[in-house]
Amino acid sequence: MEEILLTAQPRAVIGKQVGALRRAGTIPVVLYGKQLAQPLALQIEERTLQKVVAQAGHNRLITLTIAAGAPRLVLTREVQRNPISRHLVHVDFQEVSMTEKITTPVPLVLVGTSPAVTRGEGLLIHGIDTVQIRVLPGDLIPQIEVDVSGLENLNQSLFVKNLVVNDKIEVLTPGDEMVAKVVPVKEEVITTEAPIAAAEVEVIKKGKIEEEGAGGETPAAGGEAKKEEKK
Amino acid sequence: MLMPKRVKYRKQHRGRMKGTETRGVTLDFGDYGLQALEPCWMTSRQLEAARRAVVRFVKRGGKLWIRVFPDHSVTIKGAETRMGGGKGAPDHWVAVVKPGRIIFEIGGVKEETAREAMRLASHKLSIRTQFISRLEAQA
Repeated sequence: MEEILLTAQPRAVIGKQVGALRRAGTIPVVLYGKQLAQPLALQIEERTLQKVVAQAGHNRLITLTIAAGAPRLVLTREVQRNPISRHLVHVDFQEVSMTEKITTPVPLVLVGTSPAVTRGEGLLIHGIDTVQIRVLPGDLIPQIEVDVSGLENLNQSLFVKNLVVNDKIEVLTPGDEMVAKVVPVKEEVITTEAPIAAAEVEVIKKGKIEEEGAGGETPAAGGEAKKEEKK
Repeated sequence: MLMPKRVKYRKQHRGRMKGTETRGVTLDFGDYGLQALEPCWMTSRQLEAARRAVVRFVKRGGKLWIRVFPDHSVTIKGAETRMGGGKGAPDHWVAVVKPGRIIFEIGGVKEETAREAMRLASHKLSIRTQFISRLEAQA
């Protein structure tokens, strides 16, 4: 696997003033880690950072050089983006020690085709798309492949406990989390239903809990009761 | 049509729709989605029309998730009514949508199908929207 290199410059601008930096095409980043006494405020040119973040994800080591300093091995932590334009807003890097285990998310990639989907009976739905793993930085993996060709029947699922990973990796995500499931294909029949007036929604009143135990009211009845009360 | 089953109060203040959405801006269920680019009050009728457009196009296969819920009541005063006399009667339900919000997500279909389904859905809405995919969002 090729080494990912990144160069950053120290940043003096902090707080709301970083907006000007972004407009100038530079993204504010921060570097922290156990080896550092204080987090370092840095800045990186947007286009370079965009490429590195896309290439490295959250689980590939980056060799970060700050100005003319010694290179450091870092991992991408939080990546903040503008929700609409998807442009980078801020990136966190964490310096790692090669002898100390780290916790990081790893993407799950579904491979193969479920026979139930091939037969046209089912639809493959994915659950969680990343799992948290605890591993030494040297043993990091870019992704975990999940073979879904074993999902032969409808409503059959794959869980985190079914993932196949090597012994060096400790999966922290609970084993009962769903990764993929084959659900039956439903064809919806579009019917025209009479629109319900907004006033017919039931209003929760004080002491409603006791009434509910006895059977509750219908929404329409609830609405009428409220109208009468008002009069 | 989508609407709350029961509410604490029938009438609500209008509220404001300043800024962009911070929650519900990522694809969490499906592989493709439709994202709002403008703020609006999205009525339950619009949502239902958009949902039907998607279901009609996709036919068999595919799963649709609706990521907004019309839980805000809108009141209307009767026609030819003079001002005053209190707030009007509840008329319909809307979802308060701000830019960035994912409105629909779709999974289990090819990208071309999802793109066309979302295009048809977007024509039932009163705002500009954009199509997004999980792969693009990660890059």
